[in-house]
Amino acid sequence: MNLWRLARRNIAGSSFRSWVVFGCTLVVTGLALSTILLINGAQQSLQLAVRRLGADLMVVPQGTETRVETALLMGTPVQVWMPDTKVAEIATVPGVAQASPQLFLSSLKGAACCSASEMFMVAYDPQTDFTVTPWLKNNLGRGLKLGESIGGTSVFIPEGEQNIKLYGYYLTLRGNLEPTGTNLDQTMFLTWETAEDMAHKSYTQAEKPLIIPDNSISALLVKVAPGAKAHDVAEHILTDVPGVTPIESTNMFQTYRQQITGLLRAMTLLLSVTVILSLALISFIFAMAANERRREMGVLRALGATRGLVLRSLLAEAGLLALAGALPGILLSVFCVLLFRTLLIRILGVPFLVPSAGDVIVLVVGTLVMALVGVGLAALLPAWRISRLDPSIAMRE
Amino acid sequence: MKVVAVLIVVAALLIGAIPLFTDCESQGRAIKLPDGRLIAMKCHWTGRAELALALPIAAVGGLLAFSRRRELRRNLGALGIVLGAVAILVPVALIGVCASSDMLCNSVMQPALILLGTLVVAFSLVNVAWPGQPMEQAA
Repeated sequence: MNLWRLARRNIAGSSFRSWVVFGCTLVVTGLALSTILLINGAQQSLQLAVRRLGADLMVVPQGTETRVETALLMGTPVQVWMPDTKVAEIATVPGVAQASPQLFLSSLKGAACCSASEMFMVAYDPQTDFTVTPWLKNNLGRGLKLGESIGGTSVFIPEGEQNIKLYGYYLTLRGNLEPTGTNLDQTMFLTWETAEDMAHKSYTQAEKPLIIPDNSISALLVKVAPGAKAHDVAEHILTDVPGVTPIESTNMFQTYRQQITGLLRAMTLLLSVTVILSLALISFIFAMAANERRREMGVLRALGATRGLVLRSLLAEAGLLALAGALPGILLSVFCVLLFRTLLIRILGVPFLVPSAGDVIVLVVGTLVMALVGVGLAALLPAWRISRLDPSIAMRE
Repeated sequence: MKVVAVLIVVAALLIGAIPLFTDCESQGRAIKLPDGRLIAMKCHWTGRAELALALPIAAVGGLLAFSRRRELRRNLGALGIVLGAVAILVPVALIGVCASSDMLCNSVMQPALILLGTLVVAFSLVNVAWPGQPMEQAA
């Protein structure tokens, strides 16, 4: 009888113990991998969202920073306005290379004139824009015309229709941006001209008009001149331009970064407690099993089995159980995180982007190794003790 | 093997029950036609189809729990695989759910049905691959 067959027989022979070890490993690996995937996905999502904004600074009306960040990340519609004279004021601040204004709009909730409810819309100025236009030039070969738009990856044309209807205005979707895992995926980008045309026509075509206050903008994206520091430019804006708050891209979404850090701490604590309890339980189970099998091991030793073989057979049993529990645990956690990501984003209140296949493979292998090492260590002491026992004493007991 | 059979029955119960609480109709949502009439969204019909599928899946699980013949267990397992696959296909391709990710049918019902369908397929596969001991040996 070889080592693995002996281990398999031992597993089948003590089904309750085996089920407990299997269950513990399944829960721990599943929980560990889900946590890692969620935190990893949230961090990647934030980084991509900052990159997508494509600006060194975002200037918003004073006191609206959190609302704007929430709108960009989680999709809570926001209406913030500041006078458009701020564009000229900020453009003259030392270190500012480019400044491009944007309007933040949203579609109506549950209205027949809007095919998407409460969709976040960003209107940009094609003359000064440096964030959307380069993408358009690379992918579309031209800018957007009147009545055209591009959307985040989740923006789609409703089934059976040719266009997206917002405020009774038919918008042609010209393309979709890559996913970020944030609300930017559900955001529609259109030119200022299209937004004004939509607002104008909404008075006759929509249930409620789209109101864009005269001479107002919602935010200003700033590109810093080469050699200038974003932090210094932000300080200049803060002192020279009243009524606005500059947010550095590196400090963007601070609230969510803190939320993710808090989530990470809570998950790590929960995971640590679960891992410690599970390993203690597994260790206890193996100690019980080893104790019950003293005579059996004694006979095995008397028949010529070495101490090493006894030790290896118990460790092989632990390894097989760890593998049997970890594999479904890993599969379930990856599957659940992928399937329920929309729900998780809503419940946890953080953005989430599915990590790349390479990252997932690395995390899966890491978790599998962790499970094997963890269960192996938990079984090592009882296995070592029983393997050191004298066969005659073991058989007598 | 009885554990696997019981798990199939539990999955079947959930497949039948989850759409009852997560389709758009249960959330008070319906499509309003131009003449003012309200009609159910497609997720509602997915829910009905899943309810119809839950019954044979539960029957497969129940029969597996009491069956001791290898051939029968293997055949029931094969049937479970087909039914589980259909339970996945109904919300994904055959009927579908509402497109907006804000809706409960999209964020909860569809993923839950895919997960449960996959579990039914996996549990049934266990019965096909390892149908257990023949009756003579088991007795």
